[in-house]
Amino acid sequence: MGAECQVMGLFTDEDRAASTVKALKKTPWHLKQVHSPVPSHKLSEALNIKKSKVGYFTLVGGIIGFFLGFALAMFTSAKWSLIVGGKPVIALVPFVIVGFEFTILFAVFGNVIGLLTQGGLPDYKGLNVYDPRCSGDHFGVLAACPEAEKNQLITYFKEKGGVTRVFEPSPSADP
Amino acid sequence: MSELTYAKIDQTVLDTLRPATRVYWYTVALLAAGIIGGLACWIYQIFIGIGVGGQNNPVAWGTYLINFVFWVGIAHSGTLISAILHLFQAGWRNPIARAAETMTVFAVCTAGLFPFIHLGRAWMVYYMLPYPNQRTLWPNFQSPLMFDVVAISTYLTVSSLFWYTGLLPDLATVRDRSTGLRKKIFTILSMGWTGRMEQWRHYVRGYLFFAALATPLVISVHSVVSWDFALGVVPGWHTTIFAPYFVAGAIHSGLAMVLTLMIPLRKIFSYEKIITLEVLENVAKTIILTGLIVGFAYGTEFFIAWYSHNSLEISIFKWRAFGHYRVGFWIMVICNTIIPLFLFLKRVRRSIIWLFVISIFINIGMWFERFVIIITSVAHDFIPHAWGLYWPTIVEMGIMVGSFSLFFFLFVLFVKHMPSVSMTENKEVLVQGESHGG
Repeated sequence: MGAECQVMGLFTDEDRAASTVKALKKTPWHLKQVHSPVPSHKLSEALNIKKSKVGYFTLVGGIIGFFLGFALAMFTSAKWSLIVGGKPVIALVPFVIVGFEFTILFAVFGNVIGLLTQGGLPDYKGLNVYDPRCSGDHFGVLAACPEAEKNQLITYFKEKGGVTRVFEPSPSADP
Repeated sequence: MSELTYAKIDQTVLDTLRPATRVYWYTVALLAAGIIGGLACWIYQIFIGIGVGGQNNPVAWGTYLINFVFWVGIAHSGTLISAILHLFQAGWRNPIARAAETMTVFAVCTAGLFPFIHLGRAWMVYYMLPYPNQRTLWPNFQSPLMFDVVAISTYLTVSSLFWYTGLLPDLATVRDRSTGLRKKIFTILSMGWTGRMEQWRHYVRGYLFFAALATPLVISVHSVVSWDFALGVVPGWHTTIFAPYFVAGAIHSGLAMVLTLMIPLRKIFSYEKIITLEVLENVAKTIILTGLIVGFAYGTEFFIAWYSHNSLEISIFKWRAFGHYRVGFWIMVICNTIIPLFLFLKRVRRSIIWLFVISIFINIGMWFERFVIIITSVAHDFIPHAWGLYWPTIVEMGIMVGSFSLFFFLFVLFVKHMPSVSMTENKEVLVQGESHGG
């Protein structure tokens, strides 16, 4: 197989970008990425994107936090087992507050870990095949094709109403 | 918002990041001077002792605690706007969400300084941390003060992470339109965000969970702050109404601070097309609601004092209204409940000047609310021979000015060096189609 070339079609219209994504799936070319300046339902639908699993990380974080909060409050009270005002040393009602705050805190930690791991962040290498217009007002559809078909892919994107940018394979890139 | 396009939103926000004028740096220098003044007062207090403040028997909690509660309160509407209104899908929150979140983070940072200052020997703060130690002494998690440590630390961490997560796509936008050192800094800060649909897929979900978690948190945090008082058996404090009363008050003061900050910001940075009058009007309408809740809480406290036939409660509430601190009490009532009623008039609600003036009055009123709650109850509790008055000293005033300077200093630096309005969230509310073509 010859060197693979990557071409990005840039669209100012979300609908055109979405229809291009749908149409591109029926071609022999390989759809690599779609970039958008905003979260887009139309593009998600075109890409048939599934629900994120970040929530599981959040849930696990929350469960850990819940038990950790109660455990910390109970452990520290047990270490200083002085009965004050006839109240039990391990008093669950006030510990609910500690448990609650820890639940939220660790759920958020889980959420952040989920976001970073699932979203693949940080990802500085991704900037090599990226057009800065995608953070402004353009939707970028990145597709790969054999070097010989590059012009065909460029024409394809132009026919769909986009402008194009070609990312030449770097010398060290896999063939 | 209909005249706006994606490109216009970007341009308007990016224009704010251009090199600052001389007036801007004078303002920064003035605020820095305020911080140095406050710091000097704090250092003086550390060397001489906590006695340089006005706190003494019976009023052991003075302006340090007043300012702590005031700044925690200010911090609340940021989360209200960014999280609660996000869950309710209120589109008008988008233009002001970033500034409100920023306000939250800086207000919590400012609030967090006051327990250190009030501690006197600030280096002993590690006593509050649960760690194995030779004293076999652990923090008491049955104490409302420890609840506060846990709640405020959680709130600072969560609101900072929420704020940074919201900033990510905008940091990438700034990165893509910068050169040189700024580009390098924003490349690192944006963590290589490229707006891939795969990234958005997780981002949208994660942001929703952030909002869902921050909503109960914001309610819990000021409830916990209120329990610093309500769990003490002191007339005027020991009431079950305190948690909702404090939460409503916090949102009331926070919304007023949003107006105080957003109105000059809108003018200076020419944000008129993004932060429209309708947005400010909606904030004003929310202030009417919170003002009515706060007014209802003031009334309920008096009603319950009378209805309970508890002579101590009746005595303290009479003293609040007609005793030594009556001026503070009436400033509180007028500024927080009477003046916001003018916002019922559409003419007032749509006047930038009036909105700004009313927001300042509410800020003043909410500071005095904390003064009245904290000072009057302990100054005039059970035993008449233990009664005593409190007035802040010049050292306390200096630290207070320092805290206000610190808050505005951080905010002013932020708005000139980071996107102060969320470009991404404002693009989201635009009608999709050809209109956003650059």
